Parts: sequence; C-alpha cells; structure tokens
Amino acid sequence: MNRLEHIRGHIVSADKNMNIAAILPSPLTTHVLNIDHGVPGANMTISLHHLNPISSEWNLLTTRITNDDGRCPGLISKESFIAGVYKMHFETGKYWDALGETCFYPYVEVVFTITDPLQKYHVPLLLSRFSYSTYRGS
Amino acid sequence: MGSSVKSGSPITTHVLNTGDGVPAARMALSLHRLDPSMAIWNLITTENTNEDGRCPGLITSDGFVPGMYKIRFETGQYWESLGKSSFYPYVEIVFTISDADQSCHVPLLVSRYSYSTYRGS
Repeated sequence: MNRLEHIRGHIVSADKNMNIAAILPSPLTTHVLNIDHGVPGANMTISLHHLNPISSEWNLLTTRITNDDGRCPGLISKESFIAGVYKMHFETGKYWDALGETCFYPYVEVVFTITDPLQKYHVPLLLSRFSYSTYRGS
Repeated sequence: MGSSVKSGSPITTHVLNTGDGVPAARMALSLHRLDPSMAIWNLITTENTNEDGRCPGLITSDGFVPGMYKIRFETGQYWESLGKSSFYPYVEIVFTISDADQSCHVPLLVSRYSYSTYRGS
C-alpha cells in the first residue's frame, strides 16, 4: 500500500464523501495555533478569497473548519491556484466565544500576494486572546 | 498644540520594521470605525507614521466610542519605497473596543514575510 492510499484510508473512513481532490496536497496551507492554551486551534471557521483584479471584488473560494490539529487539508487545488492576491479570513471571535472567552479581534484577515503558484505557501496563524502573528512558511 | 493632542489619542500604534530592526517611518495608515447599522467602515483619519513609527493624535477622546475599529497599514507601499517586495500588500488589524475609558495600543511588528500585533495599553 503506498503512502497516499494509506492516508486516504484514514480520511475516507472518517468521511466517505471526501473526494480525491480534497486530499491531494494543497499548494496553500494554513495552521491555527492557540498560543494561550498551547493547543491547535481546532474547529475554527476560515474562508479563502481571491481578489478579482478587474472588479476589485473578493471572490469566495471556500469555507472550511479547521480539524483537531488546527489544519484544513485540501484548501485549494493546484488547478485553481493562480497568481494574484488572496485573503484568508479566520473567525477568531467565534472561536474564543465557543471556548467561553472574549477576544480583542472579532476576526483576523491575512491578505497576501501569490506571485509564483508553482511554489508551496503556508499561512499559519498563531493566536491568543490579545495577540496574533503570521508568517510565510512553505 | 491642540488639547486633543495634549491629552493623547486613546488609540495609539507603533510600527516596527523587524526585518531591518528600525521603526517603520513614513508608512501610510488609516483608522476606521464600523457603522454597525450600515455594515460599512467609516474612515476616521489617514496618517503617515513619524520617524519613530508612531502616529500621535489618531483619534480624539470625544471621537472614541465603543465599537469595532480597523487600522489599515500600507505595508506593501512601505516596502516598495525601500525597493523591496513583500508577501503582504497591506495589513488590516480589526479589533473591538468595549470600554472607551481605557486607552488601547495596537502595534504592528512587520517584516517582508511576517507580522504580529498585540493589544497593549
């Protein structure tokens, strides 16, 4: 059994509706970490948007919820990942609300430019109730 | 110097260029407040950071009411003026003020490929 089949076995057993495209590595990934508690930011709603350069409007590409590890596998397909300006919207206020806490940031938006869609990009969010940081990873 | 500047803006910021280890001087930024009924952002002020990366007098005490605010930092233009590219065309920090009696410090530590912010006082 090759590695892809091995991984697929874990995922398909959890959600039989997930298609192959969703589990191939996305060229764009994220990872939410709750640095107040030292745990992954699980069950946070995030959305990915692409800026239409002609209309200057944001087009919603996908809305997801982070898994138990604070990640969203299969965020975007290689075919859909074109050069341009993207925005990742993290529902941080709702996340802390679900934990019974307040947060200074009702949401966090990270806007970034993809110049070479053949590269891999990692856009993590390290979050506490009163601070956050992000960086470009790979 | 007017009284609004003497008493100090209840919202302050400080932009630091962590890539070069200097204050981010002459970066354009703007402060906005959300109009909840119209669901639109109202521009309060547009400023450039000074040599120390700060913007005194962002908002007056009278203008500072509870609500949702946003500071937009023109980081892309800033790096461009230094002849460099950046991963982020701009940075927007959206935050909630529930108690307008407290002052609020919203700094930005920025490099070409990372940034962070925290709530200070």
